[in-house]
Amino acid sequence: MNRTIGIIFGNRRSNFLQGIDKNRPLAVVPFGGRYRLLDFALSSMVNSGIRTVGIITPSHYRPILNQLGAGKEWMLDRKSGGLFILPGINQGIAGWESLFLLKDLAKNIEYLENDFSEYVVLCGCNQIFNIDYNEAIVFHELSMADVTFIYKDIEKEGQKSLTGTYLKMLADGKVCGFMTDEEIFELAGLLPVFIDMVIINRKLLMEIVAGYESIENIGLLDVLIENKQVLSIFGFPYKGYFARIESVSDYFQCNMDLLNLDVRKELFWGTNRVYTKIRDNPPTRYSGKTLVRNSLVASGCNIMGVLENSIISRSVQIADNTQIKNSIIMKKCDIGKGVILENVIMDKYVIIKEGTVLKGQEQAPIVVNKSAVV
Amino acid sequence: MLLAGGHGSRLGRLTKNIAKPALSFGGKYRIIDFSLSNCANSNIDTVGVLTQYKPFVLNSYIGIGEAWDLDNNYGGVHILPPFVGEDGGSWYKGTASAISQNIDFINFFNPGYVLIISGDHIYKMDFEPLIRQHKKTGADVTISAIEVEWLEASRFGIITTDDTDRIIRFTEKPTNPQSNLASMGIYVFTWPVLKKALLEDQNNPASDNDFGKNVLPMLLNQGKKLFIYRFKDYWVDVGTVESYYQANMELLLSEPPLKIFSPEFKIYSNEGILPPHYTGPRARIGKSLISNGCTVLGEVMNSILAPGVYVGEGARVEDSIILSNTRIGNEAWIRKAIIGENTEIKAHCSVGLSTGEHSPYAGITCIEDNTTICNGDLIEAGEYNTSSR
Repeated sequence: MNRTIGIIFGNRRSNFLQGIDKNRPLAVVPFGGRYRLLDFALSSMVNSGIRTVGIITPSHYRPILNQLGAGKEWMLDRKSGGLFILPGINQGIAGWESLFLLKDLAKNIEYLENDFSEYVVLCGCNQIFNIDYNEAIVFHELSMADVTFIYKDIEKEGQKSLTGTYLKMLADGKVCGFMTDEEIFELAGLLPVFIDMVIINRKLLMEIVAGYESIENIGLLDVLIENKQVLSIFGFPYKGYFARIESVSDYFQCNMDLLNLDVRKELFWGTNRVYTKIRDNPPTRYSGKTLVRNSLVASGCNIMGVLENSIISRSVQIADNTQIKNSIIMKKCDIGKGVILENVIMDKYVIIKEGTVLKGQEQAPIVVNKSAVV
Repeated sequence: MLLAGGHGSRLGRLTKNIAKPALSFGGKYRIIDFSLSNCANSNIDTVGVLTQYKPFVLNSYIGIGEAWDLDNNYGGVHILPPFVGEDGGSWYKGTASAISQNIDFINFFNPGYVLIISGDHIYKMDFEPLIRQHKKTGADVTISAIEVEWLEASRFGIITTDDTDRIIRFTEKPTNPQSNLASMGIYVFTWPVLKKALLEDQNNPASDNDFGKNVLPMLLNQGKKLFIYRFKDYWVDVGTVESYYQANMELLLSEPPLKIFSPEFKIYSNEGILPPHYTGPRARIGKSLISNGCTVLGEVMNSILAPGVYVGEGARVEDSIILSNTRIGNEAWIRKAIIGENTEIKAHCSVGLSTGEHSPYAGITCIEDNTTICNGDLIEAGEYNTSSR
C-alpha cells in the first residue's frame, strides 16, 4: 500500500511574469519547449511512487485541467487513488503571499480524511527540479520527525537576490525557525533555502487544519514554526538542480539553463523522467540549410532561419532569413521572413510579420503576450 | 482485423529482429501507427491485431491501444497470436487462415461487417466512406483499389471491373496485367459472407489460405458481388529496402505526398515522453526531420532522425535514416544508410562511403539494430552489414 500521498499547491498567485501569468495560473506556465511548470512537481511525486496526488487549483483552473486531463501521462488515471482536483478558496488580498494556506486544505479536508496513508508531501508549483522523495521519506521516518522541510544549500556569493525562506537549523538537523534578514546578511557560505516542499504526517496535518480553522489566512509554515517546541521538525537537503521562478529574469535564466548539458542530464535523462501532456506532433522539419546553434527545439516545428541559444516550443513556424538569438518561443508562434529576434520571450500563438526586428536585453527580455500580432 | 504477422523478408536486416509493422518510419512513427490511427480516426472501436513473426516489440508497442485512443470499455485492441485448441493448432498459413482461426473472436462481437487491413502500409485513409459505399451498393465484398504505375502492376493483385465498378476479374501478381487498378489489401466483408467463405477455404486442402490468391477468386467464381472502392490519395507498401528508403525520403520534400504535417487526421504513436531535441553550438541541419530527445552536435543533411538519436561532434549524417536511440560517434561519417535502433557507430567510422576501386557507390547501406561498429571501421556503400563486428 502506498504510504504517501501528495498535494501540489497549484494556486500560487502571481503577476511577476509580465503577462505570461495574466490569464494563466503559474502552475501551467510553459517551460523548456514542451513542459509546464507543474510537470516537474507532479513527475517527481509520481516517480517517487506516489499514486495519489491532489492539485489545489486557483479559481481560474481551466488551463490546469486542460493540461492534466485524467492524469494519464503521469500514470495517475487510477482506480485507487490517482489525480484529485482540489479547488482552492478565493484567497483575497490577505492570502496573496502565503504558502500552503490552511484554508485551502480545510476546504478539501475529505481528500486527507479518506486516505489511509501515513504521510503527505506538500509542494509548490513554480520550481524546476527532479527529486526522489523516497530518500526524504526514509529520513523523515528514521529521524522520527513530525515534519520534514526540504531545503537546498545555495552559495550566498553570486546570488542576485536573497528572496525566499531560509531555514535556521541546529547541529542535529532540527529546524528551529526561519532566518531573519539580519541573520541572512550575517551568514557567509551556504544558505539553506527552503524549497517549498514539506513532508508531514497525515493525521498531524488534519489536526492542524482542524485546530486553526477559525483563523483567517494562516499558512501551514507559520503554524509549524509556532509549534516548534512540541513538534519535531527536521530539514532534509536536496542536492540536485533547482530553480525557482519568481520573475521574468528567473524564467528566462531557468529556460536557458536547459541549454547546459549537465542540467539536461539531471532533469531529463536520469532514471526519473519528466512527464508532460502528449500532443502527437510529427518530428520537426528543417527545410534548406540552417544553423541551429545551442538550441532546444520541440516537435512539429518547421524551421528555415538561423537559431542561436533559443528554446523553441511545439509547432512553431520560422520562415527563412530569420535570425533568432537568446529567445524563448512558445507553442504555435509564426515568425515571418527576415525577422530578427534577440532576448525575446514570446507567448503562444504570436504572429511576427515579415521583417520585424525585436531586440531586448539579457537582463530585461521583451515579453510578447499571447496571440499578439507584431 | 489488422494483419500484422508479416516478416517483411525483403526488408532484410531491418526486420531481422522485429515484425515489419513495428519498423520505425518517418522519425517518430512505427509502420503500424498508420493503420491504427486510420482505425481510430474512422471510429472503428474494435480491432483485432493478428501477430505472428517476432511479436515482442510490436505487442509491447501496441499495448491496449491507448496511444491511439483505442482503449475503450467495449471492444478495444486485441492482440491475436496463433493458439492451440483441443484439436491442436497451427501457425497462420496465409492471410485468410489468420482470420479463419479467429472466427470465434469475430463471433464474440458479432459485427455486421468486417474490415480487413494490413499493418504494413503507409497511408492516411478514412474507412468510413469505404464502409458507407459497401452498405450502399449491397456488396458482399468491397476492395479498396488504387491506380498504380503500369510497370509496377505485376507486384499487386490486379482488378478488372465493369463500368459500375463491380469486379469481373481479380488476378494476384499477374505477369501480363490487364489493368493498373491494384488491390490495396483492404477489404470490407459482410460478416456472414466472410465466415462462410473462410470455412469453405479452410476445407480446401489445395488452398494457400490467402485472400488475394484463393478467397477472392473463389467468391468471384461463385458470382458474389465484389466491388471496388477507389482510393486516390497516398498509399505505399514499403516492401523493400529501396521503397522503405524512398518513402521516408519523400517526407523531406517541401510538399510531402504523405501529409503527416497536417493537423487534421493525426497519426498517433506510442511515444515515450522525451525532452525537445538539442542542437549543439556547431550543429548544422539541412532538409531533415529531427525527433524529440535527439542531440545533434555535428552535421545532419537530408536525413531523418528517430527519437533519442545522438550525433557527435564533427560527425556527418547525409541522406540517411537513423532509427531510435542510436549513437553516432564523433567525426563519424554516414552516407545513404539506414542504421537500426540502439546501434552504436563509434567515432571515426565511415558508413556507406565509396572507397574507390572495388566498391562503386551503390545502393543503401543497412546496419541492423543493436549493433556496435567499432572505432574507425569502414562499412562500404551498399554493404548490408551482416553481424556485429
